Amino acid sequence: MNHSTSQTPSAAFTEKQVEADGFTIRYLEAGAGDPLVYIHGASGVRLSKAHDILAESYRVIAIEVPGFGDSPANEKSATMADLAATLCTAIANLGIDEYNLMGMSFGGKVVLSMGLHDNANIKALVLLAPAAIRLTDAPPPAGGPAAMKAALHAHPDQHPDLPGYAEGVLEKQHALVGRAMGPPRDQDFETALGELDIPVLACFGTEDKVMPPEVAHIYAELLPNCHLMMIYDAAHAVDADRPEAVAAVAADFFERHEKFLVRQQSDVINP
Amino acid sequence: MKISLFCNTRYMGPSVRGTWPVPATQYEPEIAQSSMQLSLDQAKLADAAGFDWISVAEHHFAPFSVTPNPMVMAGAMSQVVKRAKIALLGPNLPILNPLRIAEELAMLDTMTGGRIIAGLMRGTPNEYVTYNVNPNESRDRFAEAVKLIRRAWTEKQPFGWEGRYYQYRSISIWPRPVQQPHPPIYMSGSSEQSGKFAADNQLGLGFAVTTLPNATKSANYYRDMAVKAGWEPKPDDIIYRLGMHIADTDEEAIGDIVEAGADKPRAGITLMNMAVLSAVQDSKYYGKDTEKDREATIATHGLEEKIELGELLVGSPDTVVSQIKKIHDQLGPGILDVICAVQLGERTEKSLRLMGSKVMPQIKDW
Repeated sequence: MNHSTSQTPSAAFTEKQVEADGFTIRYLEAGAGDPLVYIHGASGVRLSKAHDILAESYRVIAIEVPGFGDSPANEKSATMADLAATLCTAIANLGIDEYNLMGMSFGGKVVLSMGLHDNANIKALVLLAPAAIRLTDAPPPAGGPAAMKAALHAHPDQHPDLPGYAEGVLEKQHALVGRAMGPPRDQDFETALGELDIPVLACFGTEDKVMPPEVAHIYAELLPNCHLMMIYDAAHAVDADRPEAVAAVAADFFERHEKFLVRQQSDVINP
Repeated sequence: MKISLFCNTRYMGPSVRGTWPVPATQYEPEIAQSSMQLSLDQAKLADAAGFDWISVAEHHFAPFSVTPNPMVMAGAMSQVVKRAKIALLGPNLPILNPLRIAEELAMLDTMTGGRIIAGLMRGTPNEYVTYNVNPNESRDRFAEAVKLIRRAWTEKQPFGWEGRYYQYRSISIWPRPVQQPHPPIYMSGSSEQSGKFAADNQLGLGFAVTTLPNATKSANYYRDMAVKAGWEPKPDDIIYRLGMHIADTDEEAIGDIVEAGADKPRAGITLMNMAVLSAVQDSKYYGKDTEKDREATIATHGLEEKIELGELLVGSPDTVVSQIKKIHDQLGPGILDVICAVQLGERTEKSLRLMGSKVMPQIKDW
């Protein structure tokens, strides 16, 4: 069965709210265990089967960035650093001290910025098709449901149409993304990444045309502790295209950090 | 006593240091090409100088050695090394398809008219990352693979294999080894566990990245275990690897070796990635080796200490003969697998020639 991206999370996820910096921030939570905070891409909160799998062993908290979805337009967060600081405060206000952090596309830049803001509490970062460094100034994929599906998935025919947006939501989100995202190569940001000592796993879909894997090496060159992972036969929506693979490698990295290089699973055929 | 030249085929250009896998950001294909050619040229020269063996090994993802498949290098060497035996010291058995290894070694034995030595290794711990194999299962995989390879070389009827790690429904390899029943098999291992396995399975034993006292202790244990298993290892059942450089005088040889950097501490490839080393140490890779044994193996020594501990042969031919005598008397190996300072041009070539003309005649009957 193909599990699609969906704005409606699986039944395990329940909707909650937390206050931070004057924002009322919506989040979806499922599972128990070590906290794993997830920050979505420029399209808004879309959970996949990967999140369901991760919720089997982690307390997954998918935060909606203020200014996305049904929340009021966010005109207060002037920069990505402001946004990152607000999200770190929101997590602290949930009573969480140490946590794992995963970000998708736009959320990839958000979580790196959170790492720069709060590197004492973030144990490890997983980036999914991160948009923090871009080879061109092309805007995020846009268009009708069919065009969006084609832009995001390696096998669009295996996924249902993406849900549309209520009036004004897209414009509101784009305004915030445009302001927070910065230029394709943000020199100050890239210089700061050289000091980020959190272990980072950067995942790229081999079929991703939005954030192609050709950008991956720059992350490895900039970040002092970064591992690259190519997700075969996945496009930009890496977690939706290969949910089991993404969940497995992310969980292994969260659990073992750099030691994830060494295989732990047994290959015994018959004892 | 026999002398083998270890051709590890180091990439002779600059590269990122202190990490593994090594990024290829400074890689130059022309340098790799000339590095391979240099290795082939030195093998050819050693063959002409009278060396008994030329050896190759398997390492991955690093400039330390650019022969990730030693079979390919051995195939190339089979065309320039006309007399000496060619020793494969690996392949790294547990990370590979053992049946493919049986086939490739049989091919090489056929190509060389029966001049292949089959060193079946477990590889350094980092190699388990290479093909994503669990190091915890290294020893058990190795044990099964050795039995499978032997069976594939000797069984003439197609047979299936229902192993723990390997499963085949029908095997009948072609070509088959020229040497009967099969090429000599060696494994490496300083631990008691490896020594006992080699003794129980009548395999030769190789020592590398160690010292003369440590190797002697391990070899004595291996010999004791072999006697218990009902056989007695001959000198040729023990290979000892160490550095080597010979010049007309001791002073010249030492000057050369210092220039080549051999007085610097040995930087083990495994130590370049502490996360990998630590993860492998958590597994059963090291078996029953004690922490102390491992520390001794990875300890780093200066030049004089290296000579004293039998990690390095350096000096005039007569000095080197006396250094070899000490190794002969203490450890009693039949084969010394020497790593030469490959980057010294004519001085490297001269060192190989002096080994052949002035040293080997004095030790050949030991």
